[in-house]
Amino acid sequence: MNNPFDQQAAVPAAGNPFVPPAANPQREPVLFSGRGAEYFGIWIVNLVLTVLTLGIYSAWAKVRRLQYFYRHTTLGGSAFDYHGDPRAILKGRVIGFLLLLAYNLSFQYSPVAGIVVAVVLAAVMPELLRRSLRFRAHNTSWRGLRFAFDGDTRGAYAVFLMWPLITVLSAYLLGPLWHQRLKRYQFDCARYGDTRFAIDAPVAAFYKVYGLALLVVLLGIAGTVALLWPFAAANPVVFMFLPMLLIVLALFVQPYLAARLQNLVWNHTRLGAHRFESTVSARRLYLITLTNLLGIVCTLGLFMPFAQIRVSRYRLGCVTLLCAGAIDDFVAGQSADAAATGEGAADLFDVDIAL
Amino acid sequence: MSISHSDPAPSVAALYFDGRSARAHPVTLTLHGHDLHLDGAGLSRIDALPAVRLSEPMGQAARIITFADGAHVEVRDHAALAVLLAASGQRDSTIVRWSFQPRAVLALLAGLLCALWFAWQFGLPWAARQAAPHVPDEVVTALSQQTLAWVDGGVMTASTLDVQRQQSLRSALDAAARVDGQSLTHALMFRSGGAMGANAFALPDGTLIVTDQLVALAGNDDEVLAVLLHELGHARSRHGTRMLLQGSVSALFMAWYLGDVSSLLAMAPTALIQAGYSRDMEREADDFAARMLRRQGLSPALLADMLEKLAAAHDKDAHSPDSLPAWLSSHPDTAERIARLRNGDFMLN
Repeated sequence: MNNPFDQQAAVPAAGNPFVPPAANPQREPVLFSGRGAEYFGIWIVNLVLTVLTLGIYSAWAKVRRLQYFYRHTTLGGSAFDYHGDPRAILKGRVIGFLLLLAYNLSFQYSPVAGIVVAVVLAAVMPELLRRSLRFRAHNTSWRGLRFAFDGDTRGAYAVFLMWPLITVLSAYLLGPLWHQRLKRYQFDCARYGDTRFAIDAPVAAFYKVYGLALLVVLLGIAGTVALLWPFAAANPVVFMFLPMLLIVLALFVQPYLAARLQNLVWNHTRLGAHRFESTVSARRLYLITLTNLLGIVCTLGLFMPFAQIRVSRYRLGCVTLLCAGAIDDFVAGQSADAAATGEGAADLFDVDIAL
Repeated sequence: MSISHSDPAPSVAALYFDGRSARAHPVTLTLHGHDLHLDGAGLSRIDALPAVRLSEPMGQAARIITFADGAHVEVRDHAALAVLLAASGQRDSTIVRWSFQPRAVLALLAGLLCALWFAWQFGLPWAARQAAPHVPDEVVTALSQQTLAWVDGGVMTASTLDVQRQQSLRSALDAAARVDGQSLTHALMFRSGGAMGANAFALPDGTLIVTDQLVALAGNDDEVLAVLLHELGHARSRHGTRMLLQGSVSALFMAWYLGDVSSLLAMAPTALIQAGYSRDMEREADDFAARMLRRQGLSPALLADMLEKLAAAHDKDAHSPDSLPAWLSSHPDTAERIARLRNGDFMLN
């Protein structure tokens, strides 16, 4: 079994090609060099232009934002880059806006029209999301080579339509299973150059992460209800605070889920013979999220760019590539996949719908 | 700008990637006139400056020069690159320069805050005023029914006011709610206020709800009528619809603005924004009530008396903020409104 924690004691290889790679991988940390004060300028210009153009500039803003984050993320001395065409993103946003508008308006008109629109929406959404995944991967590069995603339509309908339905029908008991299938679809169909990604995260691990989160939420609700019960008899209005409690619990559980799921996914992901290690601490992420929230509330949102940088620096800095052999040998063997050139034609139909 | 031949051509160390393999080639870039020369072990290329693309500066991140065939170089020696760029006469775009000049960033920030404040203070109310008459009647009715269902779903209970008193108030309102001989659309409902106490409010479709506590607080039917006409003024000018439109747009903006971090956070400010009618709307409703009272041969001071009584009643149980009626929430204004009604300096036409 590929347990990444077995590798933690490994000393970095001194570039000796005769050492069996799996036993002694070369550790290449992911580094993030973005700075809040620097990103603030990009953020404020993006915000002003987006407001002035009534949202149209938001597509160009997204490209500049992603380019800032990607180019400040380095692995093995080289930065990542983002190549998305703002016009494709704008197209995606217009489509998304129209679908949402149609959905909201149709229910006002008549329930039958609403159901028709909902069915149409469910039918086209998986394909749009599949194209978004492809767009995102294809427009990401490292060392001049693009990432790629070649998941098929059938798989998209399974993870974006069939599994959500099954999850709802099972009263969310199969939710973690759906998440595992989704990650498998995302990673097993992705590649860098001509090397494929693969993921082998077991379903049981997803259940463990979600189970603990659910336990915390249930205990929180039970505790608060028990605490409020004596007052409820006098004034039932106290139960109006329950939704607020759910928000607080969600804020409490979200960093835990984000940390554990990132570790789970990346510790079970391979790129060819190479593996990854992710050591995000839920406690650290919780502290960062909490201080970020305080900062954002106290500055009426102006702390947002600093918050995004802080989260990215921590989460990216926790990821290490465990390179089987020297990284230079790996990259030298990478070449652009011949099939990738054929994707140029598909650009016409490319969209980017935010997930 | 021309470069004299005695100057050494500016050169920059960089990493070259050909776009077909991930191998990095250390190279040197030099500028010769309008051509960019690239030289490394076993490779060299010359590209005309207009044919290459330079990524915008982003702090210490590598800058990327992309060639027409998809190959690119990563440059991390920012000082040397700056010399080369100066020699080439290249200038960053305005947007890029704004992003990295502290003074420009501060100016933009101030401009943004001003624009947002202006839009929220004047733009949004103006737009809502224009849009409110165009909201379809079905939507207004549906919204009002939803609110009524919410009120009856636990906030308030059935009225215990005796039927004769209800009937006399109804006919008093029917007689008064006329403009140019036309009866104004309205419906009067009685409820027991519960935690809301003495209160009256109008739904956007003209339904008026008055609590038993308010009727008890008033000395006579005329005082209740004064309050009802004030509420009818809100309904007639579609104040409820306007506030709802303003609230929805604000909520949408907040959701978009804060959506990046947490859509949950977006809920809190919206609740604050939807605090109640604006001062102008209260004034407009006061004017309407005063006008209608005069027409019935009654004094506008009746409404002032009721405002005073309501303010006093709600001050008594000020410990529960829920009990404060929305139209009294802007507290310092209440005194001003009372004075205005008593002095008769409202618009009478």
